[in-house]
Amino acid sequence: MKLLKSWLQDWIDLTDIDDGDLSTALESLGFEIEDYKLINPDYKNIIVGKVIEIYQHPNADKVRVTKVDVGNKIYEIVCGAWNFEEGAIVPVALPNSYIKDSFKIDKRDIRGVESNGMICSASELNLWDEHDGILVLDESFKIGSDFSKSYISTDSYWEVGVTPNRGDCMSYLGIARELSTYFNKKLNKIENPLNPKLKPVLKVNSGKSKLCSSYQSIEIENISIKDSSFLIKYRLSNIGVRIINNVVDYTNYVLHDIGQPLHAFDRDKLYGTISVRKAKEGEKLKTLDEQIRTLDNDDLIVTDNNEPIALAGVMGGFDTEVTNETVNLLIESAYFDKVSIMKTSRKLNLISDASVRFERGIDRNIQAYGLKRFTNLYELDENIQYSEISDSSKQTESENFITFETSLIESILGQVIDNKFISSTLKSLSIESEIKKDTIKFKQPSWRYDLERPIDLIEEIAKHYGFNNFKSTLPIGNNLNQVGNYWNVRKYFIDKLSLEKFNETQSLSFTQKEYNEFFDPDKEGVKVLNPIDQTQEYLRTNLYYSLIKTYKFNYDQNSFSGKYFEINNIYNNSTNKKYKKIPKQDYTLGFLVPDNKSDINPMQYIASLLRKIIPGVSFDQLSKPGFHQNNSYVIMVDNKLIGHTGQLSYLLKEELDLSENLFLSQIYLEELNLEGLNTSNYKPLSHYPFIKFDLSFKVNRDLNANDLIQEVENLLQNNENSIKVFDDYAFEKTRNLGIRIITRSYEKTYNEKENTEILNMIVDKLTSKFNITLNEKGE
Amino acid sequence: MPELNLDKILASLDLRISEVTLPDEYDQISKDYLGKDSLLAEERKKLPTLSNEDKKKYGKKLTELSKEIESKIESSKKQFILDTFQKKEKEEFTDISIDWNRNEGSYKHILSSVMDEVVNIFSSIGYEVAYGPEAETSWHNFDALNTPDWHPARYESDTIYLNSDLETLLRTQTSTVQIRHMEQNDPPVYIVAPGRVFRSDQLDATHSPVFHQLEGLAIDKNLSFTDLKGTLEYFTKEFFGENIETKFIPHFFPFTEPSAEVLVKWNDGSWLEILGCGMVDPNVLENVGYSKEYKGFAWGVGIERLAMLRYKIDHIKNFYENDIRFLEQF
Repeated sequence: MKLLKSWLQDWIDLTDIDDGDLSTALESLGFEIEDYKLINPDYKNIIVGKVIEIYQHPNADKVRVTKVDVGNKIYEIVCGAWNFEEGAIVPVALPNSYIKDSFKIDKRDIRGVESNGMICSASELNLWDEHDGILVLDESFKIGSDFSKSYISTDSYWEVGVTPNRGDCMSYLGIARELSTYFNKKLNKIENPLNPKLKPVLKVNSGKSKLCSSYQSIEIENISIKDSSFLIKYRLSNIGVRIINNVVDYTNYVLHDIGQPLHAFDRDKLYGTISVRKAKEGEKLKTLDEQIRTLDNDDLIVTDNNEPIALAGVMGGFDTEVTNETVNLLIESAYFDKVSIMKTSRKLNLISDASVRFERGIDRNIQAYGLKRFTNLYELDENIQYSEISDSSKQTESENFITFETSLIESILGQVIDNKFISSTLKSLSIESEIKKDTIKFKQPSWRYDLERPIDLIEEIAKHYGFNNFKSTLPIGNNLNQVGNYWNVRKYFIDKLSLEKFNETQSLSFTQKEYNEFFDPDKEGVKVLNPIDQTQEYLRTNLYYSLIKTYKFNYDQNSFSGKYFEINNIYNNSTNKKYKKIPKQDYTLGFLVPDNKSDINPMQYIASLLRKIIPGVSFDQLSKPGFHQNNSYVIMVDNKLIGHTGQLSYLLKEELDLSENLFLSQIYLEELNLEGLNTSNYKPLSHYPFIKFDLSFKVNRDLNANDLIQEVENLLQNNENSIKVFDDYAFEKTRNLGIRIITRSYEKTYNEKENTEILNMIVDKLTSKFNITLNEKGE
Repeated sequence: MPELNLDKILASLDLRISEVTLPDEYDQISKDYLGKDSLLAEERKKLPTLSNEDKKKYGKKLTELSKEIESKIESSKKQFILDTFQKKEKEEFTDISIDWNRNEGSYKHILSSVMDEVVNIFSSIGYEVAYGPEAETSWHNFDALNTPDWHPARYESDTIYLNSDLETLLRTQTSTVQIRHMEQNDPPVYIVAPGRVFRSDQLDATHSPVFHQLEGLAIDKNLSFTDLKGTLEYFTKEFFGENIETKFIPHFFPFTEPSAEVLVKWNDGSWLEILGCGMVDPNVLENVGYSKEYKGFAWGVGIERLAMLRYKIDHIKNFYENDIRFLEQF
């Protein structure tokens, strides 16, 4: 809602309130301030003058020479506009004045005639867009006076947000009503008396549908379509409404002033009874924008002899519109159902100032007032005559009183609010109420759809009491410093991986089908109904592609890349076991390790990292789409699959134009809990000396070194051990594996003999079980 | 009584010591001056031939000499080693201005860090983290939150839908977790729910189809508007600092009443919106079947907004592009 201080002044006296206080008031009443500015004239030294003579330019056909009286002197001024005659009162830029954008006006020779300045158009003075001539003023502008002092040329402007529940504040009247309560000032009553001289020619009928509870109209005859008054043009243009003519502008003016949308028909294009009904399926109407609209049974229409002439509350019809030739009007002022208007305007994507007001709810009792206000804007025009108002309103049930206990206020707001304050606030807001010691009774005003329940009134009281005037208290919940497993598991992996220098990433959840299918050809992706663009038609079924994208982006953009991880949901269209009706979504950790040719094999690095951060983890080799045939594994804990890891296939590496081999992993975090991850592995320390063996074996290429180590652990299970691979060397078909065994008894110091027995026992067991041979020293 | 020229011995010792180039040479010097073939040892051998008085006197003298030699060698050796190391240390120099480790950050994503910080603040006053799905039903995203089909608020956000009957969508707000949590848990409830939300916007400097919110919900028997104020003022002080000024202005959300927006006063004097909040609307509590004796409050805060304010990040696109030059700064 765009507000001019001078316009608000019609409704409430704000002369002693400065802009800062007004801003504070608006904000504390819930109108978010989106813009504020001062309006100042964008011109200097413009004088009001009267054209007393016009004659042909001796050397030019397209311009005329005028004599303009500016009070103390008469100037000759050349003018190219033709929209005025002798006697017109106009703004004049004499020599040494400035029009918009600080453009200086001086004497100028125009084809042999000296022009003493210029007669200005509205757009030259930056008032409003009007290019078809100069600005012709009315009699109220005094000849010779400073133009900027002849109207309110300095003003204050606010653009405020009105929340969707407050349709009543989509007008100056509504905002002023709130301000009057805030500043404890009276809301002005603006009477608009009518003195009808005609009987209406047409009948109106609000129809059978409940969706139109009131249809009222007034007929105005002998109108001439011309410019609106200066004041209306000034006000409308400053709130961003396009100036059209004295019919369209005045309907717009009433809409912004009091919130009642009006529609003007050319009465002479109407013939029968004007009524309202739901459209028939497939019925057609050509709207003002010359589009043929095909309607359905949800659309509410205005009809003439049962033929559609307007989309009720949304847009008028082309055939009955007001044109420059129109002389007689029928002005419609109706109450249409909120939801019906919203559905039609959203469906046809026709959102107008009128439809927005109808869908938020206009005052149920303001229709006649709207017509009076409109008609009164023609007060200076003596030619027009108008009818009485035709009223076809349905009997609506009056609102009931709502009663609640006063104690509810303290229970919800946490503070007692004085009954006197409540009483004066409700009175000022014109909310009918009865306030007793223990109960409050109130009735919903015809413009307040947001006041249906006790809680609604309590909010109203709190707002006017001022949110910042309430005390603050701090309740403590019942889970002190316990964030819960979901967040703990997430934090656990973020901490572990960031220590390992993986960069955490956040990427969008959308992708293309083809990228999902690199890795999940068997999963049905979740398709977006209204995707943002063609590259974002699906939700991702995995994190792999996002990680690769990040890796490649940095490699290409920054010449280096690194290890990355992301924790987010992945989705597919299989059944969601946890929640009904929605696609399956798994909270998943994904990470990427590039092969940067360091001495550690990336796959071994990943396996060892996972063993370190997920106790009890094991791997089984399993081929998977998008991955290396052999170098691809499922990750298990307690025989439960918790994820996958492996090397990106050489084919994808080539297709995606990657320069390094990438290793990708995914872990389904919902399968893990923090207790399992934080398992302690403490082993008591032996106080006896160690014995140490370095053993080198000839082994098969496909042997699992860890199986060997586990076997040694088993053999020495009563000892404190440290068993590690210290060398793994493969050449052609041979492979040598070096294992270092350091072991200590918890009970004694081993002697030479025992030392040798242990060594032989290990070698015998290993060579027989794994079919390997011990390399003799020096081999 | 034999007379050994002590001064001469000591002078020759000084000379030997002055010629030392390696610490090991001190062992040889000790041997030469104190060992069994030394002059001192030779003289000791003479002791038995002397009279008792002389023996005593000369023996004492030799012992003193031996001690003096010993201490001279010892202290010279110590000094020599010290000098050697000091010389070595003086020759060594490290340029610590070189930073081999390029990454200055924590390796955590800034959004994770901010979410974690906010979670910790609320965890310190008794809130637990709750989780809800991102692909949601329209009922959880709108209807249950008091935003029925005809409600204008339903059209304000550009919702991304997942099926043509508009029954499933990507949640536009984390408030859905309020409903999910209350459906599965009895009151009292003190939860926060950080997570992703979605809108139909192209990724650019000021918009993103994906962003993060943190939802908070407290439902108990005696919670009121003053508790809401106190809780959120505690949060703004913990997050922005003890001296931050906070104000509450009325707003509208379908699922809270009264509803407010919280603004904080920034260094330049301007007030910035940081979150929306309100007392949970009775209809919402009814939708999840909570009894009337329970009420409470809820709030939602934008994580990107907090991060952008605190770190003066100008483009929302930065959060989702994963440019390593951005990631490494946090």
